[in-house]
Amino acid sequence: MQSNLFRTIGPVLALVTIGAWGGCAEVQRAAEDAARRSGDERLAKVIHGGGTLVSGLMPIGYEEERSIGAAIALQVIARYGGVYDQPDLTRYVNLVGHAVALTCDRPDIPYHFAVLNHDSINAFAAPGGYIFVTRGLLKQVRNEAELAAVLGHEIAHVSQKHILEVIQRSKRLAGITEAGLAYANQNPDMFKGLIDAAAKKLLDEGLDQDKELEGDSLGDLFAARVGYDPTAYVSLLTRLRAAKGDDRAFFKSHPNFSTRIGAVQEVIQMHGWKATGVLVEDRFTRLRGRL
Amino acid sequence: MRHRRRPVPLLITVLVVGVCLFTGVALAETVFVQGKTAKLRSGKTSLDSVVADLKFGEALEVLRREGNWLEVQTASGVKGWVFANKTMTAKPAEGDDDLAKLGKSFRRKDAADVTASAGARGLDKVAEGYARRVGIIQQHRDAVDRMAAYRMSEQEVEDFLKEGGLGEYAK
Repeated sequence: MQSNLFRTIGPVLALVTIGAWGGCAEVQRAAEDAARRSGDERLAKVIHGGGTLVSGLMPIGYEEERSIGAAIALQVIARYGGVYDQPDLTRYVNLVGHAVALTCDRPDIPYHFAVLNHDSINAFAAPGGYIFVTRGLLKQVRNEAELAAVLGHEIAHVSQKHILEVIQRSKRLAGITEAGLAYANQNPDMFKGLIDAAAKKLLDEGLDQDKELEGDSLGDLFAARVGYDPTAYVSLLTRLRAAKGDDRAFFKSHPNFSTRIGAVQEVIQMHGWKATGVLVEDRFTRLRGRL
Repeated sequence: MRHRRRPVPLLITVLVVGVCLFTGVALAETVFVQGKTAKLRSGKTSLDSVVADLKFGEALEVLRREGNWLEVQTASGVKGWVFANKTMTAKPAEGDDDLAKLGKSFRRKDAADVTASAGARGLDKVAEGYARRVGIIQQHRDAVDRMAAYRMSEQEVEDFLKEGGLGEYAK
């Protein structure tokens, strides 16, 4: 009996699997409808379940990422005093950010940059390319090369999908196997739970050490590709260490400044980069006055 | 009954290397465009005219290197100079990996619902619903909308790089 059932369902499941992985949701629906029309409700349910299971294993696509990013961006803005609305400054930060984003490893999605009206020294990235830097951090920055590296660090979190990994893990733990945003439409509380957990990780706990160090290394690389002095980021991190103390990194889970400086220096050494003096201080200083 | 097959590949290697050396043919180096776009110029300065606009991930055959510039040839046979920082030796991964693309395709209907309601705005139906549930004030919702709607052309960025003397515009 069991082997008969397997013989019947096995090929159907295989077809559904192939169909789903091949992006053919229509094939799955057609098979499901055909099974239902023939009166085999059990088979229809198996086909539906097979498609759902397979799609739940899929990585998060860009459309879903964009919705998740917008929801997290709302939390960031609400928690950090809103956006500092100074048109010249917004344009400047966007220009530097876009220059870096165009050379990153994921340049084919739009990136959006904003200044948060907050005195703390911080920067955040939400999925879908939403990037924030606080007024407090901008006050610590001395030139455009340093700003480019800070934005590069955040761009790296987006390009490497660091927050999305957190969401993907939470989705699996919550048993969400529905594809795309269907779960969010059907169960808004579940979506809220995922976003709240991701925002907590981003804003209260901080990402894991390896992700932060990868952000530092790639951020410096992206800024260097634009043409900025690769040693500028080391200067900024060294100054922050002096101002805040080595053990007072942004979050408990963050690596301390000495570890971060070491990671960036390693990248500089690996590429054989030298200080170039391309810091672009003038126009940064002009815009800094808008803070 | 052991067969001694080792000399055959060795012989082929020796022949290939020998032919290359004899004919002066070097194994071509290929690089890939790593920025979203890059300009192929007629000479090795930012003042030289643009011969072609290169796309992210495009393969280029390197003809020679001079300082920070590479003379290259595109797959369609166009020759010119590209700023070396705009290229990389490994083929860059696609923005969305293959699995994500499959997932996107599978969720096409779902995505269409979202983008139709979102239009050019940042907040779609799902994010709007989230904002309402957690009580995000309108001012902050508008901020995300404005942020997402903020557009910057590649020409503006190019002019910005030029003004700052960055990359291929280095003074």
